[in-house]
Amino acid sequence: MAAGKTGGLKRYHDLNGWLFVAPSVLLISIFLVYPIFRSLYLSFFSGKGMMMKFAGFGNVARLWHDPVFIQALTNTVVFFVVQVPIMILLALMLAAVLNNDRLKFIGFFRTAIFLPCVASLVAYSVLFKSMFSVDGVVNQALMAIGLIGTPIGWLTEPFWAKVLVILAITWRWTGYNMIFYLAALQNIDKSIYEAARIDGVPAWARFVHITVPMLKPVILFTTIISTIGTIQLFDEVYNLTEGKGGPANATLTLSLYIYNLTFRFMPSFGYAATVSYVIVLMVALFSFLQFYAARDRA
Amino acid sequence: MNNRTILSRLAAGMFAGASLLASTAAFAGEVTVWCWDPNFNVAIMKEAAARYTAKRPETTFNIVDFAKADVEQKLQTALSSGTTDTLPDIVLIEDYGAQKYLQSFPGAFAALSGKIDYSGFAPYKVELMTVDGTVYGVPFDSGVTGLYYRKDYLEQAGFKPEDMQDLTWDRFIEIGKEVEAKTGKKMLGLDINDAGFIRILMQSAGGWYFDKEGNLSIENNAALKAALETEQKILQAGIHKPAAGWTEWVNTFTSGDVATVTTGVWITGTVKAQADQSGKWGVAPIPKLNVEGAGHASNLGGSSWYVTESSAEKDEAIDFLNEVYAKDIDFYQKILTERGAVGSLLAARTGAAYSEADAFFGGEKVWQNFSDWLAMVPAVNYGVFTNEVDTAVTAHLPSLGEGANVDDVLKQIASQAEGQIQ
Repeated sequence: MAAGKTGGLKRYHDLNGWLFVAPSVLLISIFLVYPIFRSLYLSFFSGKGMMMKFAGFGNVARLWHDPVFIQALTNTVVFFVVQVPIMILLALMLAAVLNNDRLKFIGFFRTAIFLPCVASLVAYSVLFKSMFSVDGVVNQALMAIGLIGTPIGWLTEPFWAKVLVILAITWRWTGYNMIFYLAALQNIDKSIYEAARIDGVPAWARFVHITVPMLKPVILFTTIISTIGTIQLFDEVYNLTEGKGGPANATLTLSLYIYNLTFRFMPSFGYAATVSYVIVLMVALFSFLQFYAARDRA
Repeated sequence: MNNRTILSRLAAGMFAGASLLASTAAFAGEVTVWCWDPNFNVAIMKEAAARYTAKRPETTFNIVDFAKADVEQKLQTALSSGTTDTLPDIVLIEDYGAQKYLQSFPGAFAALSGKIDYSGFAPYKVELMTVDGTVYGVPFDSGVTGLYYRKDYLEQAGFKPEDMQDLTWDRFIEIGKEVEAKTGKKMLGLDINDAGFIRILMQSAGGWYFDKEGNLSIENNAALKAALETEQKILQAGIHKPAAGWTEWVNTFTSGDVATVTTGVWITGTVKAQADQSGKWGVAPIPKLNVEGAGHASNLGGSSWYVTESSAEKDEAIDFLNEVYAKDIDFYQKILTERGAVGSLLAARTGAAYSEADAFFGGEKVWQNFSDWLAMVPAVNYGVFTNEVDTAVTAHLPSLGEGANVDDVLKQIASQAEGQIQ
């Protein structure tokens, strides 16, 4: 009987627990789990708009023969391979500098660097677009100080368009990552630095051998978040290039390609779903690799 | 909370619900329209609505102004998700995309054959909204093209309006070099991310991305090849001012930085919006490509109205479009003089406004010219994949400026386009 009673009580608690989580489980199922499986199902179909028929792995085969997909994939990889390390290093250095108590106006600098990431995505893209136009502020400034002779076609030349996108996302997200590092730096025991200083360890070595290892979990976290964010890059390129990913598809990302496949081209929902699963796989793969690379060997 | 408050809240709720029902009933007969461009389509639709409500005061209109890309995206989302109650009663669709919507979403748009007399419209407009013999839309404006040029700049460079008639593109480039040497102005604004210029040139020689049967036609397309060669010559001659995006492109001529604009007639309103440039502009037929079948007339853009099948006010919407867009000649005169809209209702051209001179263009009879050119626009098959191939062409435009071989570029465009068309 006693055993039965405990079982009943356990059941009672289980039920209550489930009731508490039921609303969120329900919402997550409808808006997250169902779409995920639905898009997987969709990726086996092809056709024009709603006139879809079963295609098996036809969409996966189509990926291999689609030069635009390959281009979008290459662009996306270039963006995060180049941009994420630059941003992480920059954020780390800024955090180390701004953690110095002797610096004046520290609050101002921290806010100023963090501010871009609360700016509206669209607003800053539009602003960048006008600043970097052929006779925009940036070209004029560069020409005035004599760095360049003729204006750079930031939005009309494939190479510079990529550079501009990288500049834009770095500007926006560096401050965001910096905040994580600043918070983590507060948790490093000051006595470690004191001991190092007494032992005569120079500042750069304290940064490399104390700060960086102590921040490892946070660095790992921000790297993964940034990588995922960059793989899903959409807003900036959409707004900078009027949704086209130009010039010469140089800024076309996978997300933008999915958007075009669904909304600009003959709607090809099945194929778009297939491309979105490429993003899922990439995110999973890179997250795994980063965890693996940064695992505790001890 | 005692019983009284519950009761009173319940009553208030019921009252609110009832008034909501009542207000919906009062507005039954509101026709919702989605379109873009407040200075053009939206303004024209408001004029049309005013004319209809003058006759039938019980009908009201809700004309919603979106950007073109947003109209297309909202339409495509609503159609593919099947939530048709979010759709408007009437929607504006650009001609290039018409077949895409009609074929991808069968049954989404009301069939209008037999309800509207199509014999009065320009045939090419009717053809592009026909699927299997059924016509689905009401033809609206035409994008017949012209070469707008700054008389003052060209005069400084030693060219008279007569010199701008009957040009070839080679001659156009020569003039462009002269203009830059004498005035320091560029000849034209060019957006390297927009294939509109290529489409104008290609259609002027009777070509398109597809043949008459709708098959992809890239590698052996003489018109497309000539168009790409011309753009390459312009890029290499450096007579263009580069622009990124529509706004910058429009700014090249509104700011007075370039001497010519080659585009659809719908730009007239924008050109004329610069009051201080009055009398300085002229309009000539566009230059000719150097291939067989090439002419001076072409088309860029243009759009038409479609009624959604699920619309609650379907009959009202159809009647409205029929009464104004298919019959009202006076309406077309007004939108021509006020907005520069050249309609595709043929009878409209007999109206007074078409033969009037325009002071902005130094007293030239520009509308007569445009309507003459409209009759000469070669009919082509826009097919269902224009956006896809256009993207493929756009992607390869920058390489033209770097001196790529045009035949190689055509091959690359073809291979990209084939990957997209499935």
